[in-house]
Amino acid sequence: MVHKDNLLAHAGLSMPTHMEINGNTEAVVDGCKGVLEYDTDVIRIRTGRLTVRFTGRGLTIRCLTADALVVTGFLTGIEFLV
Amino acid sequence: MLSLRITRWLMGYVRFSVIGGSPERFFNSSVRSGAILWNIASRRNSGACVFAGGYKGLRPSARRAGCRLRVRERRGLPFLLRRLQPHRGIVAGFAAFLVILVLLSLHVWCIDVTGNTTMDTRTVLSALSENGLYPGVRKSEINTKKIEQKLMLMFPKIRWMTINTQGCKMQVCIQEKTERPKIEKQEGACNVKASTTGQVVAIRVFAGTAQVKPGDAVVEGQLLVSGVVENESRETMLVHASAEIIAETTHSCEIQIPLRQSVRKPTGNRAVRRSLQLFGADFPLTFIGRPKGDYDISGVQTRFRLFGTLLPISLYEENWNGMRTVPVEISRQQAIGQAKKKLSEYERNLPEGTKVLSAQAQDRVKNGTLVYSASIKCKENISKQSEILIKT
Repeated sequence: MVHKDNLLAHAGLSMPTHMEINGNTEAVVDGCKGVLEYDTDVIRIRTGRLTVRFTGRGLTIRCLTADALVVTGFLTGIEFLV
Repeated sequence: MLSLRITRWLMGYVRFSVIGGSPERFFNSSVRSGAILWNIASRRNSGACVFAGGYKGLRPSARRAGCRLRVRERRGLPFLLRRLQPHRGIVAGFAAFLVILVLLSLHVWCIDVTGNTTMDTRTVLSALSENGLYPGVRKSEINTKKIEQKLMLMFPKIRWMTINTQGCKMQVCIQEKTERPKIEKQEGACNVKASTTGQVVAIRVFAGTAQVKPGDAVVEGQLLVSGVVENESRETMLVHASAEIIAETTHSCEIQIPLRQSVRKPTGNRAVRRSLQLFGADFPLTFIGRPKGDYDISGVQTRFRLFGTLLPISLYEENWNGMRTVPVEISRQQAIGQAKKKLSEYERNLPEGTKVLSAQAQDRVKNGTLVYSASIKCKENISKQSEILIKT
């Protein structure tokens, strides 16, 4: 039996992005490829083929590693841009 | 989160600002090179925190992004130690303090025995020491359950005991057994006889037939209350006779006091030996050997407490007083004084409940010894139970 992740990799798709949102104050993104825009009102990140746009007030990147980040603040919207 | 903060503090971290260029590009490049950033501030006041060891590795990324980095804050243990480097004594002292604290916390400091009413604390401590519980022993080496069992076997008086570990203090809680009251044997037929010669003053018969009345003179072994009782239908039966027969008795004693005695007198030679006891080990504070000759020794152990907690330090002081034996000739009056003291001791040792009415004494000197003869008139219970042997 082939695992789902292996299937995606087989299909040429990278590791899928895993996102956890705690209320509207924290978003944990696993599988992030980089920060495109960073401001207190908007944070734009690249996740594989998608670009995710967080909008809100007082947004900060709490922690940033090579493939994950934590966004905190008052989130008002999340957009997925293809 | 707390563990994360502690880890960051222990490893040390730097808070820096990113000036000019593209901060996003810098952050992406940095994390790709293996750095971990946190508390990242946005464009207007761009900056982040990074582990102290990883700060130098950020420079190539900053160059690529066209930014300049400026250190704002240095925090954590490595920076604290660097600041303290000129004051090596403080660091060494603190390290020594930590080592001593850790080492001492692994050992038993003191043992507190509570709950013992008739048992001597020193006896309990000595028994505990025999079984491996003494100040200074490693806490990991103590098997409290085993020690409790052994001590309960050693002291049958202990009803229940437990050994509690309170930090570095061992608390030994003891509960002693309540002694069983003596049960008087009420089985079998018996008479009540006189234990000594005297004149009966009062009679209280609980069971049996009285054979004497107040005012009668009785001799030792005389039947006072018979265990043979006759009922209304003139039938006889045997009972366990019991009575309280109060009689006036006379006790005579002879005390001999030699007029030539040997008395120990202090010579004036005195030696004080002090030692510090730490975790059961003795550290002498005075370097005086044991004096030779005839000495009286008395010791005082001073234990120290801090906020009610017994400390493992105690001061032991030994006083050695030189003595010599001197032959002394005492006067007749002095000898009578000594004899009177012995007589009052004899009176105290008379059977319980005995009341001394009067005492008459005579003294004479015979072969250099004062012979003090006393005749003590007493009021006492002279009843003594005597079993009636029945052949079946």
